[in-house]
Amino acid sequence: MVTLEFHEPTGRLEARQPHAPRLDALEGKRIGFVSNEQWQAFRMLPLLKTLLERDFAGIEVLPINAFPQGNALIGNEETAAEVKRSGVDAVIIGNAA
Amino acid sequence: MKNAVSGLGLAPDAAMVTFPIDMFLPGSDISPVETRKHEFYDGLTGWKSDLGAPSNGASPLLSVRGATFEEALVRANNLILANQWGDGLPVWPATRERVQWILQGTPRPREHVLGTFPPRGGVATVEICAIALAMAGGRPEYLPVLVAAVEAFLDPASGSEQLQAASGSAFPVVIVNGPIAKQIRLNSGFGCLGPDPQHPAGASIGRALRLMQQNVGGARPGVGTMANYGGLRYTNVVFAEDEENLPAGWTAHGTERHGFAPGSNSISLAFANGATNIRRRGAKKETPEEDAVQGMHRMADFMRVPNLAGLAGYEHGTPGILMIPGVVAQTMAGLGWTKRSMREFLWEHSRIPAEHLRRAGGYAWIEIDASKVTRDSAALDPWPITASPDNVVLIVAGGGHPTNSYWLQGYSPGVVGRAIALPEEFPRLLAEAERDLNGG
Repeated sequence: MVTLEFHEPTGRLEARQPHAPRLDALEGKRIGFVSNEQWQAFRMLPLLKTLLERDFAGIEVLPINAFPQGNALIGNEETAAEVKRSGVDAVIIGNAA
Repeated sequence: MKNAVSGLGLAPDAAMVTFPIDMFLPGSDISPVETRKHEFYDGLTGWKSDLGAPSNGASPLLSVRGATFEEALVRANNLILANQWGDGLPVWPATRERVQWILQGTPRPREHVLGTFPPRGGVATVEICAIALAMAGGRPEYLPVLVAAVEAFLDPASGSEQLQAASGSAFPVVIVNGPIAKQIRLNSGFGCLGPDPQHPAGASIGRALRLMQQNVGGARPGVGTMANYGGLRYTNVVFAEDEENLPAGWTAHGTERHGFAPGSNSISLAFANGATNIRRRGAKKETPEEDAVQGMHRMADFMRVPNLAGLAGYEHGTPGILMIPGVVAQTMAGLGWTKRSMREFLWEHSRIPAEHLRRAGGYAWIEIDASKVTRDSAALDPWPITASPDNVVLIVAGGGHPTNSYWLQGYSPGVVGRAIALPEEFPRLLAEAERDLNGG
């Protein structure tokens, strides 16, 4: 028998930070959107806002323009800091295609 | 998206709600958002990552067995394809011995980290470059060019973080300057953008880079990259400038664009997403002057399209790479043209009338661009396809024939240069290549 050994080519991954903890419940929470304004986000995210506000008592869902929008802005540190300062409990990010 | 998540340093999964592409199109039925609202709610509350901490070990070795070497080789290739690490052509399994052989081509230690490959975030070490080069049929003397290309690719200024995953089908273009090009059999002449058994280096280096984009960066079609078409991806584009035929007074690209010392070894990396031949030469009784100017107009006319690919590099990158053969460069120089004056002519004559831009919806893209320089350019009529003539990359390369030039449509936020670092024993590697490839 011939044995051929060779290297796996994908390279290691380094997890540098954990995912954000999930919320215990949505009632009474403050939720934000970070939108790239593409791929029908301007329709889908407001629909999601309506659904959340209908389904969970005391929830506050910020409008989709509460934070800077667009691919050029949503990934930068200033936007991240603005989201953090706003005191939201969680954000929904969309849309990608 | 999982690639993007791991690229941020998180475990490679995320709370996502995914839909077929139809829902993201204008006028779509978005009622599935309501039907599947509980998936959104779960993403905010109960979702947990299925993945533990990713491995931090070195590249592991896999093993296959066969009754004969050929059977083992087939099984190795089957395993590589089953894991989606191949590209459809046979690969050379990156055995320990082969990787060690290729690693002779760099002065850097094998564990040296060059960066993380977007979007997946796999760590690109010198060893991983050697593994990819082994799979691509490469040799040790190619490794210095690949390492420099990977360094440039991973420079945030290249735009690779976005272009690796974007739908525009960008491919890296690696232009090599310096004596290393000829030493390692890199093509600068006839057929320089394609595979060439007389000059095999470009295909191997480009294929290795592509394998890294796919395997380390996670850019698998339709999964890690949304590139609609993915052209020129078997070997990317790796070629040398034809410095032997640069006219007197014309400066090599590495020196002109990046400031590397004349005669030094360097690479320059940009992204493109189109490749087209332009018939440059006249057909009748033109004077040399008429032939030159008509050819310049034909090239500028071709560049003057409201395709907007060049927006990506409007301010700092390039609208494209224009290649002219050495014989044409010599003629142009004889008529008094320089690289600079050619770029200025092309920039001036490729400006797009506002009306053409308007009817094609171009202003919407210009107005949402992240760069203020780009947004402000909307006021210009005719609209220049790039902020400055200096952004146009003009390279002397291609076969010694005057009829054609070539336009690699840019899709490139930056044009990134890197010096090529050679090991002390490089002359020995070249001698061994001469022995192996030329019967020397």
